[in-house]
Amino acid sequence: MNRLSSAVPAEQYLADSQVLFYLNDAVTQLLDHKEEYTQFGLVRYFAEYFSSVKNSNHVLFRELNYIRATQHNRASFIRVFWRCFRQIGKSGDLLSVPEYRSLLQLLCPDFPLEAVQSASRIVLADDISDGLMSFSDFIYAFQLQFCYQEFLDSVQVIYQDLLAGKSPNTVIVPTSSSVEQLVSVATEESDREEQQQDAVDSSTLAECVDALCERFKHSCPSRTCLREVLEQTDKVSYYGFLQSLANHESINQTIGALPSKEELLIDPEMDQELDKLIAQISVSPGSNSSGSAIGGLKEVQRRASPRRNIHHRRKMEVESDGSTEETDSSEN
Amino acid sequence: MADKEKRRSAALPSGMSSGKVVKSDSEREFLEQAGVGDLLRGAILKMVEARSDDPIGFLADHFCNLASVTDSGTAGCGDEDQQQQQQQSTGLAGAGAHEQQRLNRALWHLRLAHHSQRSAFSNNVRVAYDLLNLNGCLRQASENPEGPDGSCLDVPPDAEGSGGVKGGLYTQTLECLCSEGGVPASTSAPLLRRLCCQDHEAVPYDVFRHGVLTCAVFSDYIRQAQRLYAEVCCPDEGPATRALCSAVLGTLKEALETSQDCDANCFVNANAKSSACLEANAKAIRYLEASAKISPHKLAQAMAGAQTRGPGGNMDAKEFENAAADLFIARVKVVS
Repeated sequence: MNRLSSAVPAEQYLADSQVLFYLNDAVTQLLDHKEEYTQFGLVRYFAEYFSSVKNSNHVLFRELNYIRATQHNRASFIRVFWRCFRQIGKSGDLLSVPEYRSLLQLLCPDFPLEAVQSASRIVLADDISDGLMSFSDFIYAFQLQFCYQEFLDSVQVIYQDLLAGKSPNTVIVPTSSSVEQLVSVATEESDREEQQQDAVDSSTLAECVDALCERFKHSCPSRTCLREVLEQTDKVSYYGFLQSLANHESINQTIGALPSKEELLIDPEMDQELDKLIAQISVSPGSNSSGSAIGGLKEVQRRASPRRNIHHRRKMEVESDGSTEETDSSEN
Repeated sequence: MADKEKRRSAALPSGMSSGKVVKSDSEREFLEQAGVGDLLRGAILKMVEARSDDPIGFLADHFCNLASVTDSGTAGCGDEDQQQQQQQSTGLAGAGAHEQQRLNRALWHLRLAHHSQRSAFSNNVRVAYDLLNLNGCLRQASENPEGPDGSCLDVPPDAEGSGGVKGGLYTQTLECLCSEGGVPASTSAPLLRRLCCQDHEAVPYDVFRHGVLTCAVFSDYIRQAQRLYAEVCCPDEGPATRALCSAVLGTLKEALETSQDCDANCFVNANAKSSACLEANAKAIRYLEASAKISPHKLAQAMAGAQTRGPGGNMDAKEFENAAADLFIARVKVVS
């Protein structure tokens, strides 16, 4: 209980909680699917909606605008992505940018390519069109990029300014409109190879970034974390900086969507399933008409198949049972 | 309240019109018919009142709670009367489960607001009491209107003849409150002995409120004591010296004594409405004095004084907690 709650006015509390946004969406969804959702009564509908928000199950198959709208939604999306596809990590497959994008599109039909490209630049830092990434590298970079996108864009603008030789005093903290113009220029430039060798003075960057945090409050990594990363080297490149952030454990913990790197690929239920099936198959090898083994194998493939030809099966699997455990049946 | 309503109705059309080309009247009608506006308004008001740290979780619990109430039939008197009559025939098992459900709901209500939020807390205690009170609806007509300090009013004992919360249920509520508040059972046992009622007794509202408030304050108090101990004792150096702990406890005791006096005054002057204003001021002054006694400055003085005297061994966390609890409990009236 927040004992000092009297200090926070009601409007502020309402705004910070973003409850109105969720209520808005709940009612809109209700109107879109009247017949479906009024079956069990209104109260039950709202109970399920908010329970799914609380359990981070609410972003599956939703449109990009909804997913991007709140920090909670973004973190939930990362978590859903992890739960659905962590088997890929286990199999050790390396995927390319378009492949990761396809996976994301399974969960969010209008997921854009640019976001995936930006994330992959953090991992690969150079020509990304042929680059392959492991699941683990990609997901942490993606998490950073997706959750703190606006902040990172502003940092990039500052970085470009510093690189161009402007003194820190004249580096203006960019407003949203100026960021859009400059980022498109910046991304073109960063495709060129020379960019990786460029670096700016860490402490200067740290000062400017610190000032930026004021504006972003909860939509940016913590100040201590940023300072820590920038204290490690005298000079830092933009993608070097982002890489360190992506792998920084405290950022991961703050967002709260993913476990630490060591535990990323642990999936005990799936492991159990696979072990059971392997046992079954080894009992009746090369089975043709052994219904249970084939049925079982099909089930495994249905649930998580890290084979090359994953897309078709993936679509079936995800659409039929969503994430591995809890799925809120009231969502699409 | 009015501006919240405005905001709700303003938010609704703007949210919808951004998603749709035309906001249709049929949709608005549908929403009105279904009573969505009232439902959501009620939920938002509850949420803002409670100011929980997890607003989304709060709403989820709120709606789930509401859903289970509507699903399991009403909490109205009709069912409960029937239940009483049928109790012998349906067996105690069914009644027990129903009772457990009511207890859970009552506890949920009691958790909503912190006891320092006086009006919200009082409202919630009232709701919880009605939930647990078997014959609540029948007694509504004869209820005394609630004053700002319910525990101060003298309620004539005969009014409780026909109803009240069952003693056993009341004791259970208190136990749950204490354990949820982080107080270990051994620490809260002496308190509960003072507050509890016999199973067969019918507990009137102000006894209920007094008990609940005391447990809530006690949980906070114990948590504070634990924190105090943690401040006083550095974990690497082992348990804190006895002298230091005694000094801290002494300060606590003084503070409690000071605030105790103001409660006593309150009881005495309960019926003198004209001096209500003066009373409130006197109380405020006493509370200020009490909090001054427990201020960091005072505490530091006491601790500094203690360190000059010879230490007499160490006191560990448990002992400190028990001693602090004793100080508090000594001041709790025994419910008779």
